[in-house]
Amino acid sequence: MKKLTKMIMTMAMVAVMGKAALAAAPADTLAEVKKKGVLVAGVKDSLPPFGYIDEKSRQIIGYDIDFINAIARKLGVKVELKPVTSASRMPQLQESHIDIIAATMTKNPDRAKQVDFSHTYFFTGQKFITKKGSVHSVKDLEGKRIGTAKGSTSEQNVKKAIPTASVLSFDDYPQAFLALQQGKVAGVTTDEAILAGILAKAPNKAQFEIPNVQISEEPYGLGMRKGDKNFVDFVNKTILEMEKSGEARKIFDKWFGPTTQFHLNRNFKITANN
Amino acid sequence: MLTYQFDWSIVTSGKYFQWLVSGLMMTLQISTAGIVFSFLIGLLIAVMRMSHFKPVRWFAHAYLEFFRNTPLLVQLFFWYFGSYKILPAFINDWLNTTNFEFAAALVALTIYTSAFIAEDIRSGVLSIPKEQLEAARSAGFSYLRAMQYIILPQAVRITVPPLVNQFLNLAKNSSLAMTIGVAELTYQARQIESYSFKGFEAFSAATLVYLVLSIVITALIHQYNTRILNPHRA
Repeated sequence: MKKLTKMIMTMAMVAVMGKAALAAAPADTLAEVKKKGVLVAGVKDSLPPFGYIDEKSRQIIGYDIDFINAIARKLGVKVELKPVTSASRMPQLQESHIDIIAATMTKNPDRAKQVDFSHTYFFTGQKFITKKGSVHSVKDLEGKRIGTAKGSTSEQNVKKAIPTASVLSFDDYPQAFLALQQGKVAGVTTDEAILAGILAKAPNKAQFEIPNVQISEEPYGLGMRKGDKNFVDFVNKTILEMEKSGEARKIFDKWFGPTTQFHLNRNFKITANN
Repeated sequence: MLTYQFDWSIVTSGKYFQWLVSGLMMTLQISTAGIVFSFLIGLLIAVMRMSHFKPVRWFAHAYLEFFRNTPLLVQLFFWYFGSYKILPAFINDWLNTTNFEFAAALVALTIYTSAFIAEDIRSGVLSIPKEQLEAARSAGFSYLRAMQYIILPQAVRITVPPLVNQFLNLAKNSSLAMTIGVAELTYQARQIESYSFKGFEAFSAATLVYLVLSIVITALIHQYNTRILNPHRA
């Protein structure tokens, strides 16, 4: 028994120390990515049009992926996409399973303590998707059940904006939307661009709408490991160039513009100020 | 340099500590109710499985095979999302006004675990020599009364160790309820991680709580077994 305890203790210590050693590795992702010749990006794979699996090619495509492709092209390396969820993306980055997060991640001060963000590459606001005609203002959602996805800022925002509502966090947005379809929640909340994607794919979309009720502003940034200055500078420089050359606008129009089902106007620019 | 700063204080006091406590309460509620119901249903299914009336036996057999051989997570989604398609609209409307997440999770855990418990009890019953049942029947006991007074009290005693395993599994499996939004212990640990990014501390704390919970369940049943069921062996 004593021997067993000792063995377990040793194993636990090795595990903890191994983890600490991993976390303490010095970071120069830019040099590392160039050396291994591949940029590993954490992306969403069920969130059109940011990151989702194309029905024909079975590849992950989307707005986020186009930015990663542009960065990799500039670096002269290949791209490897790894699906992540809102809850798993930060640990995946910190444990070096991925080099960069391009997964609809909102920039906020709490997160900025853990990761370094690029300049804002997408800008949206948090809204709701509801049964048609049921919600006209935030008041209509007071005391109601509202669905969202775990580990997202949406969850924290809605708790602040409507304290009387009870928030139900599902593993992903499609599940939250299923709960809305079945009347288990009165609304699903997250960023408008994501909601538009969910609504566009819904089989019975005529029954739902996105009322003009906004509870927060959501600037998205690409996430990189804290203190990884060379890499952050490189990514920022690249996306600023993309803005200048018009490529960033082209990518926006490709996924959200008038020719798509979203009809969104690009009301932001990638600048060095945010 | 990347370094992870450990900060254990976030899980031992303040807001996040309260989240863990409320998660533990939810886990305790769902586990306690689950243990009681799954034992009762398991007992019923075990008796049905040994019935001499074929349709009853077949029903119990089908129940066992179905619920033992499909993943719990799938069953959980079935009770929560799938039941919507089967039930009439007015029942769905009523369910949506209640805490249906908790109910669906409890039903899934109970039914899943009861299938395993039924088999454990049946093997306990089979280990009692069949002459005892024959003697009881010839002494005028009906089948059910013979089960109730003669066979089951002995069988349950033998079944205690495997039952403990099922109860522990149930308590730990209750963490799957987080996938349908039940705010139990694992849900809260994940919540703490997404608010504070202190996942290591949050999940370590949750792991410790599960460990303590399991040890308490084991100890309680061990006490019951030695003091009450088998006083002469203590």
